[in-house]
Amino acid sequence: MHEINWLPFWLTIKLASITTFLLLLIGILLSYYLAYNRHKINTIIEALLSLPLVLPPTVLGFYLLILFNKQGLIGTLWYKIFNKQLVFHFEGLVVASVIYSLPMMVHPLTAGFRSVPKNLIEASFTLGKSRLETLIRVILPNMKASILTGIVLSFAHTVGEFGVAVMVGGNIEGETRVVSIAIYSAVESMDYKTAHIYALILFFMSFLTLLALYFLNKKWKPYDKA
Amino acid sequence: MFKIYLFSILLLFGLHSFCRAELIRVYAAADLQYALKEIADLYQREHPEDKVELIFGSSGKGAAQIKAGAPYHLFFSADMKYAEELYKEGYLVTKPKPYAVGRIVVWVRKDSGLDPSKFPQILLEAKKIAIANWEHAPYGRAAKEVLQNYEVFDRVKDKLVLGENVSQAASFVYSGAAEVGIIPLSHAISENMKKVGTYFLIPENKHSPIVQGYGITEAGKNLKGVKKFYEFVLSPKAREILKKYGFMVPGEK
Amino acid sequence: MIRLKIKKRLFGPQGEFLLDVEFETKQAEFLVIFGPSGSGKTTLLRIIAGLEKPDEGFIEVDGKIWYDSKKKINLPPQKRDVGFVFQDYALFPNMNVFENIAYGMKKKDKHKVIELLRLAKMEALKDRRPDTLSGGQKQRVALLRAIAREPKLLLLDEPLSSLDRDIATFLREEIKAFQRRYQIPTLMVSHNIEDAIRLADKILKIENGKIIASGSPREVLFSKNPSSGFILKGILLEKVFRGTDYLLSIAIGTDIVEITASKEVGETLNSGDWVQISGKFFATVREFR
Repeated sequence: MHEINWLPFWLTIKLASITTFLLLLIGILLSYYLAYNRHKINTIIEALLSLPLVLPPTVLGFYLLILFNKQGLIGTLWYKIFNKQLVFHFEGLVVASVIYSLPMMVHPLTAGFRSVPKNLIEASFTLGKSRLETLIRVILPNMKASILTGIVLSFAHTVGEFGVAVMVGGNIEGETRVVSIAIYSAVESMDYKTAHIYALILFFMSFLTLLALYFLNKKWKPYDKA
Repeated sequence: MFKIYLFSILLLFGLHSFCRAELIRVYAAADLQYALKEIADLYQREHPEDKVELIFGSSGKGAAQIKAGAPYHLFFSADMKYAEELYKEGYLVTKPKPYAVGRIVVWVRKDSGLDPSKFPQILLEAKKIAIANWEHAPYGRAAKEVLQNYEVFDRVKDKLVLGENVSQAASFVYSGAAEVGIIPLSHAISENMKKVGTYFLIPENKHSPIVQGYGITEAGKNLKGVKKFYEFVLSPKAREILKKYGFMVPGEK
Repeated sequence: MIRLKIKKRLFGPQGEFLLDVEFETKQAEFLVIFGPSGSGKTTLLRIIAGLEKPDEGFIEVDGKIWYDSKKKINLPPQKRDVGFVFQDYALFPNMNVFENIAYGMKKKDKHKVIELLRLAKMEALKDRRPDTLSGGQKQRVALLRAIAREPKLLLLDEPLSSLDRDIATFLREEIKAFQRRYQIPTLMVSHNIEDAIRLADKILKIENGKIIASGSPREVLFSKNPSSGFILKGILLEKVFRGTDYLLSIAIGTDIVEITASKEVGETLNSGDWVQISGKFFATVREFR
């Protein structure tokens, strides 16, 4: 009988978890800067950050491939530091996913930072608390819904990516063959059964995550507004 | 929240490390989809300590990925050209050896009502014709030559649907999206496709011979398993499998 | 002790104007910065707290320089050691009452928080979230939070302006009591004359960014020349129509008196108006508190 290979799922969940975790750190820093600083350059940064939303993933994938390969700027640097290739490796996929899903984290977080009343932050400052402590104890707890939105959207977006993954990662089992690529491969090799099973699981997984998001968002709204 | 996150990531890393056995990573032209899978299964039965991982795609794409640093240990091209090019530039460490010669067929679904033996007229009747992209798939190149030799290329070129590789082209006809496909014989006689379709073998003299070559890459050069599998492909047992899927093997007629 | 001299360009509803202020205060004094809205009072308070930067000048508190444009010193709010009470309280919605008060303490002291809560008769509310409190309760939490860290300077920005009059009157006394008890030098911004009269040791009257008068409430708010005869000047705080006549609450000196006035007279008056009570009138005067 037909055996289902779960490796692509593990890989996808691993990729999405690591990507989301990194994005959370990067997103908090970037969004904090964007929300509380007004420079002319911010407009340019925000436009750049939104690029992955409108660019065809293959365009992004193409440029990342060029940057990441052995001769590429980032690829060479990475090779020097870690003695490892970036393209066609899991790490490369992580870096590409972080870039690809960046707007999914930065947009909700920036909105979240802006929704926290300024005088809460000033109150914390006058109570002797540093920027960092204010961030952790006052700002972040009062934008839980935005953080959750960012996490869920980044995770889902990473799970769903294909174009970038296929360009930068190729299709290597256990390394870069994520579910979306596995579905494509299965269809290509006329293995519709596997494709069906993967696709259905992905469908319900996405639906349930979004359901949970909407549910929690409703529940947390009052605190975010206060 | 953070703690759960970290924990699950650690867990995933932990699980992942279990999955890595002695690994032979093979990039192969898509026409080998079925034959090489069977060869790899047989090999793994004989060498349970090794794991053969197969990645299929067009030969051109594979060559490009190897140049970009893809960690493949063996490269099976659908022609000699890509393999030799890689060898010349130092990406392959063994001189490319031919392992099979492929044939192409005209394939239709049984329920399409078309008769593949009426070739090339059938092409004029079809609305869409699936072939692999000749830019980077040797079988696509052969298919194009066939169309040119029958002097129908210009008349049908607007109907052509190009697959990235032969598997994709085959899946276009298999799913009914295209009525006619010019695909490798090895696909046509796979169980999947045999059940639902019929084919016509295109005479050998209508295209230049599809001699397929392979070699070990830079990344695979010092791995024992890779060397073993490399040799296994030319063993009598493996050759039988290749023949079963319609390939001719070097040194036999 | 505070020594302050600052200048800053501001943009008010009537266009650009210059905030140009200089003053000194004595130990543990309660200073009310009094003036109409848009006169730069709140900005002055925010500058002292370090939340805004003046264009030039200096601020010195207890011999320590907080800001000096010439010496390029500008301590951040965290280093200034103030207790700031915001107009809309700015309580942290993610913390309960106890946590809000304890948040800014230099040395975490559970007993101190409980003691403060007890003094304000709010012990029962210690586990409540801010969004479940009334305006007056929030105000008290904000005040306790500022006091709990034992600041060098307490800054109050219109703390009573959004409360009902009864609650405001009550809290005004409480603020005074806390200020006396802990002997904290206090600066309060207000446009409410009751605040000025009841709380201030000293008043700075500001208009359009300039100090136009300073001194004791009596000196600043009321005429310096004693009037001959029986004329009392006061400010109408409230009028209540009682069917046939009005009951007027009038602030005279540091007292509030209630007198009746005929319907015709009462109708012409609005709260905040200056009124004269002449001896010719027959007035029932009784003590308010």
